[in-house]
Amino acid sequence: MKSGRWITQTESSTYLNEAMAIWLRDLRSEFRTRYAINAILMFAVTTLIAVSFSIGAFRIGEAEKPFLYAVLLWIILVFSALSGLSRSFVKEEEAGTMDVLRLSARPQAVFLGKLFFNLTLLGALELIIVPSFILLMEYEIQFPGFFAAMTISAGLGLGAGTTIVAAMIAQASARGALFSALSFPLLFPLMITAIKGCERAAVGMDPAGWPEVRIAVAYVIIMIIMSLFLFPLIWEE
Amino acid sequence: MSTCYLKVSNLCKYYSSTLLFKEISFKLGPGEILGITGWNGSGKSTLLRIIAGLVRPSAGQVEMSYKDESIPKDSRRKFLGMVAPALALYEELTALENMEFFCRVRGVSYDRKHCLHIMERVGLTEHAHKMCRNYSSGMKQRLKLVQALLHEPPLLLLDEPGCNLDSKGIRIVEEITSEQRRFGMTVIASNEKREVDYADRVINLSE
Repeated sequence: MKSGRWITQTESSTYLNEAMAIWLRDLRSEFRTRYAINAILMFAVTTLIAVSFSIGAFRIGEAEKPFLYAVLLWIILVFSALSGLSRSFVKEEEAGTMDVLRLSARPQAVFLGKLFFNLTLLGALELIIVPSFILLMEYEIQFPGFFAAMTISAGLGLGAGTTIVAAMIAQASARGALFSALSFPLLFPLMITAIKGCERAAVGMDPAGWPEVRIAVAYVIIMIIMSLFLFPLIWEE
Repeated sequence: MSTCYLKVSNLCKYYSSTLLFKEISFKLGPGEILGITGWNGSGKSTLLRIIAGLVRPSAGQVEMSYKDESIPKDSRRKFLGMVAPALALYEELTALENMEFFCRVRGVSYDRKHCLHIMERVGLTEHAHKMCRNYSSGMKQRLKLVQALLHEPPLLLLDEPGCNLDSKGIRIVEEITSEQRRFGMTVIASNEKREVDYADRVINLSE
């Protein structure tokens, strides 16, 4: 008699283990299909090239550069993210795998797994786009450490914000429009903070206390905690 | 024998103002098989989805207990395996990768030999490394059975288990159902006489 075999093994399961399983599966699927990464990178690279050719390093006055470059950088990053990050949940809905995932994993583990996946995509996006932007636009940054911390913390916030919105819109029709419409008000405070922080890093204003980074980190923490509470309500019928 | 019980009390389901079914009650214990039949649209699949916790009932309760302790709704997934036409597997993964994922996500330690053994039972060993997108609909149905049996659940929910299966596949379903009788409970939703005949009791949702 096999009774008890399954119950003893399931006891060792943790949220993190389940989340890691979902993250690894999403990565494996993404490597094979390249749905999200293609959408994000195509948007990011074409926008970056368009911006660098049309504006370039010489058409903006030195005084306006730090602010305008920060705005352009975050427009590219945010809208590239919006073009592909909803795929993490939408593809489950489209493939009909949402229910099998509901039956297999706990809601919080699903959220964390999808969050890790979106953060991986965003990390790859930032690794390619930020250095390319700095090189192509000849973006001078006085405080590189602060700039890096700002980019990373705001990237984490972008991932956390878009993941919960992606979960909300996955079962709706007109997902693309809804994703952008719902994400924008949620991401707006983060964008403003990230732009201000990057401008401060470029100008060389004293980043004592790293206020923008602290705001972005607080945003990430609040967004993740709120999402972990809200996600089970979204995830269930 | 697993000591798991299922109790369904006064279950009702409305979609908008349309009544799907009402006052469905039954108890199921170890070794029992319940058949659910009814016209198309009578709510067979919905009833199974409510038992699985995928859909909320409009009224009534589903309770599961294990060793005399009630199982909370969010833990119910550990105790059941489900096969349904609407449950799809990951097409961009191989059959074995799918099974590895379901083991890990359910907290069952991944044992390749165990997975291959279950795949052998449904006749899929040779195709274990094939992408699921290259599977025929019958092979996908067999793989869904593997997915449902992977954690050896005490409650098996089978929604049209013979769907897309050839005669060999149907025999496999018969074997699985009779083996499950020794390990736990089964609920089969179908209009196929042969599948409903496995059941000890039948609830007809059209009545």
